Amino acid sequence: MVGLSAGEKHFIQGGIAQDLRADGRKRLNYRPIYVETGVIPQADGSAKVKMGATEVIASVKLDLARPNPSQPGKGKVSLFVSCSATAGPMFEGRGSEELSTELSVALQRCLLGGKSGAGAAFDPSCLSIVDGKLCWDAYIDGLVVSADGNLLDALGAAIKAALTNTRVPVANVPAGASLDEDPDVDLSSQETTRIDTSGVPVIVTLTKVGRHYIVDATSEEESQMSSAVSVSINKERRICGLTKRGGAGLDPSIILDMISVASHVSEQLMNKLDSEIAAAEADEQDT
Amino acid sequence: MEYVNPEGIREDGRRPLEMRHLHAEIGTVARADGSAVFEMGNTKVIAAVYGPREVQNRSQQLNDQALVRCEYTMPNFSTGDRMRKPKGDRRSTEISLVIRQTMEACILTHLMPRSQIDIFVQVLSADGGTRSACINAATLALADAGIPMRDLVTSCSAGYLNSTPLLDLSYFEDSAGGPDVTVGILPKLDKVTLLQMDARLPIDIFENVVQLATEGCKAVANYIHEVLLENTKQLEYRRGL
Repeated sequence: MVGLSAGEKHFIQGGIAQDLRADGRKRLNYRPIYVETGVIPQADGSAKVKMGATEVIASVKLDLARPNPSQPGKGKVSLFVSCSATAGPMFEGRGSEELSTELSVALQRCLLGGKSGAGAAFDPSCLSIVDGKLCWDAYIDGLVVSADGNLLDALGAAIKAALTNTRVPVANVPAGASLDEDPDVDLSSQETTRIDTSGVPVIVTLTKVGRHYIVDATSEEESQMSSAVSVSINKERRICGLTKRGGAGLDPSIILDMISVASHVSEQLMNKLDSEIAAAEADEQDT
Repeated sequence: MEYVNPEGIREDGRRPLEMRHLHAEIGTVARADGSAVFEMGNTKVIAAVYGPREVQNRSQQLNDQALVRCEYTMPNFSTGDRMRKPKGDRRSTEISLVIRQTMEACILTHLMPRSQIDIFVQVLSADGGTRSACINAATLALADAGIPMRDLVTSCSAGYLNSTPLLDLSYFEDSAGGPDVTVGILPKLDKVTLLQMDARLPIDIFENVVQLATEGCKAVANYIHEVLLENTKQLEYRRGL
């Protein structure tokens, strides 16, 4: 990315202070969000989300596996994010490892819940086929195709859309089959079930520039931030995860204020996303 | 196994000399100097070009021409089974090299000495013919970036199964173990820049299959011309011309 001159930095900071950002938005406005589902034919569920120039793709693939002995009635979910070199030459070779790891861990924290499975975005028992013997392993992969700030929010939205788009095949295990070796699983019926994604949270990142917070920062605005707080909130306005980035220290009262602003913004984002996802799914059905 | 049924229809409903549906978009990655998405059937590839820009690694700088670099990656989810190692595996390294050599031959590198052009190709969905789709996407991305080239480079694959030459193999047909010929040409200059084949073929049939792949390349070239023309019209319109 080309560096910013002192004049440009001043312009960005001043604009944010006056509630008029460089692209005309107010501090708490998102860029237009565009959702498309079913973009990866080989995946069981996939979605592409564009927020301005930021473009991310999420895919969900299901594989048959044995469940974890400590949680026999649930499938296993794993989540990884990688940044494509198309987003910028800095992501070439191993350059994307640091950012990919940071994003993966933040998303895992927000969406996968704790060790006991509490607080997960969706209930993994819908992935179980035979209790204790056979289940679906869900691999959620995120790919950043084009980066212009606010990657975490876009990835959260894409994963939510991909999960909604996922069709879990109905597996019939013949009665009386021996389940100690790999049983013959009948996947020939074309029926599929869907995952209940009403509990999947959205992620709202608030970036603090100067004395104000903005939502959906572009990468130029992010370069001016002192710190950022990403809050993951679900439909019931409960917080599912929290990450603070950036070196500057924040007063605890400011963090609480940021959380309440994020909570307020999340409602709009949640409604907007739900309607976009529903529209995308309907489009996909038609084609 | 039957890849072409007695009526002459392939597994996905095409005729032997029929290509898959082509679709391309230019300018999808806003921050790149040039970018394009290219689809051949279910194979979907995105290419981004950054450059010409200053050489990052001084020791690699060339004083009389531009340095062309290419990276090809396939993410975990692009193939039927989830892959372990998306970057740096041998096949990716080989394909990166192939794409780089093919594009380097057609870029007018002597016009941009001491600079670097990066071509990044990302496979989103793989269903056979990824090499060809990558080259076609890279051509479009370079054109979008305004990098001077001798000619477009287009590529297509062809094979030979059940005693029939087949154009544009899908993954199912490719994994049959029959010959797979990938050809890359410069359509206006009518020259071949890339020719790869695996398995074996008698020489006279080989000539037929290469001819078929070349026809496929020309069809891709026509499509790419249309896409670029449409894109230029859009740019003119936006500038009010």
